[in-house]
Amino acid sequence: MDFKASNKRWRQDPGRQKRMRPKKEKKEDMDPDAPLIEAINGGGMDLFPELVRRYEQKLYNFGFRMCNNAQDAEDLVQETFMNIFKSLNNFRFESKFTNWMYKIAARVCLKKRRKKTVADEQNLSLEDLAARFRNQAPEETPKWARQPIDRVLDSELAEIIKRTVALLPPRYRVVLVLRDMEELTTQETAQVLGISTANVKVRLHRARLLLRDKLQGYMAHA
Amino acid sequence: MHDPSHEPDPDCLELFKKLSAYIDGESDPGTCEKIETHAARCIKCSICLETLKQTVAFCKSLPDEPVPDDFSKRLGTVFAHLIKSRSG
Ligand SMILES: [Zn+2]
Repeated sequence: MDFKASNKRWRQDPGRQKRMRPKKEKKEDMDPDAPLIEAINGGGMDLFPELVRRYEQKLYNFGFRMCNNAQDAEDLVQETFMNIFKSLNNFRFESKFTNWMYKIAARVCLKKRRKKTVADEQNLSLEDLAARFRNQAPEETPKWARQPIDRVLDSELAEIIKRTVALLPPRYRVVLVLRDMEELTTQETAQVLGISTANVKVRLHRARLLLRDKLQGYMAHA
Repeated sequence: MHDPSHEPDPDCLELFKKLSAYIDGESDPGTCEKIETHAARCIKCSICLETLKQTVAFCKSLPDEPVPDDFSKRLGTVFAHLIKSRSG
């Protein structure tokens, strides 16, 4: 198999490029939530449930990915909307509404920090992670990485992924969830978390490597 | 392919650090070319790249967790009460 050609094809695949292309935020683009928020802040408080309906799914998913637990996800959704309810009239569209919403949700979520995480892996350097991969790497690309996603991603594997993600150190986990699951851009994630884009990239790479190593270990014994 | 009994090629480590940016389409064309050329001759790095790519693809393909109906209803009730108490 010609790996170079296949990687090049993969990189240049138009479908993938479309998915990967950073969403350009033009200044003149209006926040799609602006009309509703302005209506609520202009006295239409009874429209607030519409905002809840619009984003309860997104927030619930975010909460579930962060904690892998329905009760915690529900708590996160409710607490986040409570905070939004209290401070929406101070929201000035300095960012997109959804980014502001995720910012509140992330703060609520990271405050909880109840679960144990793989704390000892928090400080592994990239050199350590590279060495670990080299020592544990299989002889050839494993089957799970060669098959089409829908063939290999069954409900059992999905459970393993969710469980593993929820155990990643919180500061890496939140970046992975926002970037690879909620599909925010690097810039949006940086804005939500109040960190630099370089920091987002470093944390994301580390989170993916930790997750990959866990999956690798799981798949090797499956 | 490198002899696994030896220390990793410094190229491998350099490439290892850049794989996520490559996967995200954030690498410049020169870096892409370098990564693809290296991965074509270094099996470890090729495996590293393929498994990482698939890991990212898994994350992006996980189905959403549906909001439980009863929770959605409860949430609606909570805010209906709040709004009523604020306006009343
Ligand atoms: Zn290599």
